[in-house]
Amino acid sequence: MKVFLTAIILAFTGGALFVNLGSIPDSFLLSHTASRFYREAVVTETGALNTVSAILYDFRAFDSLGESTVIFATVSGIVLLLSRKTLPVSSAGLSLIVKRTFGILTPFVFLLSVYIILHGHLSPGGGFQGGVLLAVITIIFCIIYGSSFDLSRYPPQRKTLIETTGALLFLGVGIIGIALTGSFLGNPSAWRGVPGTLPSAGSIVPINLGVGLKVGAGLAIIFYSMIQKTLKRQ
Amino acid sequence: MIYSMCFMLFLVGLYGVLIKRNIIKIILSVGIMGYAINLFLILIAYQEGSDFPILTPAETSKAMVDPLPQALVLTSIVIELSTTALLVALAIKIYQRYHTFDIRKIRRLRG
Repeated sequence: MKVFLTAIILAFTGGALFVNLGSIPDSFLLSHTASRFYREAVVTETGALNTVSAILYDFRAFDSLGESTVIFATVSGIVLLLSRKTLPVSSAGLSLIVKRTFGILTPFVFLLSVYIILHGHLSPGGGFQGGVLLAVITIIFCIIYGSSFDLSRYPPQRKTLIETTGALLFLGVGIIGIALTGSFLGNPSAWRGVPGTLPSAGSIVPINLGVGLKVGAGLAIIFYSMIQKTLKRQ
Repeated sequence: MIYSMCFMLFLVGLYGVLIKRNIIKIILSVGIMGYAINLFLILIAYQEGSDFPILTPAETSKAMVDPLPQALVLTSIVIELSTTALLVALAIKIYQRYHTFDIRKIRRLRG
């Protein structure tokens, strides 16, 4: 009976999708106004070279603000769901060879994430991608060295502090935009610089930095909450 | 057309949500549905003979694929990450209370 109902639902959904397959044009979006404007105005209006970053952090920066609010809400929800009463039971960590190897490698992971965050307006990358790499450092600490090492070196209070710093940096750039250009999250033309150099693109670089800190610390808190409960059961 | 592949992938995810009885597999199926939709949006942005939407200092205007759906898909990936993380947290809580991932056995109310 369940298989029969599933087949009916799948047939109706697939039919509705495939009937409308023919009505999708081959290429139609660049003729529309918003896409054409973004493509033509990216260098003159923002000073960035990465068009996707310019859309995310300049033209639709308010959208990205909402996005980081979603991450904050998720972190709050997960911490509320998996809130702990006791201190975490640490995993023992891996062998000495792995610990020494990652002792050498971890600063380079940090360097790569900072590179990706700061070059978001020039090359593929940005705050979200680099922030995920920042969270990888916490995962390395928890798995390789044990979660008590992570607790002592990088406690949850400090993660929360970093996340709040990122959010305040984002909002601060928005308020500076009010002071300099008259609109929230506006891109001040005095900061734009020469397109193609590292200190250019106005408010995109500090917004990238804020989003990177926020995403990295948020994912670190999520991973830390989950690994604690998993380890406590064993 | 190539869009039909996205629809097939979406239907695979829907099949998993409807048929599977393990909560982890249902979460993976929800992820597959989300990826199908992301793939569809990226494919809509594709244009024949266009380049990736990143300029260079020497070349400040070129034929590029539509950058707007790519930016919106980045948003969608972040939202999807958040929903998946919340679903996994709920699955952890369910496992702590019922000691199973099978949705047929999670039916009795326990305070």
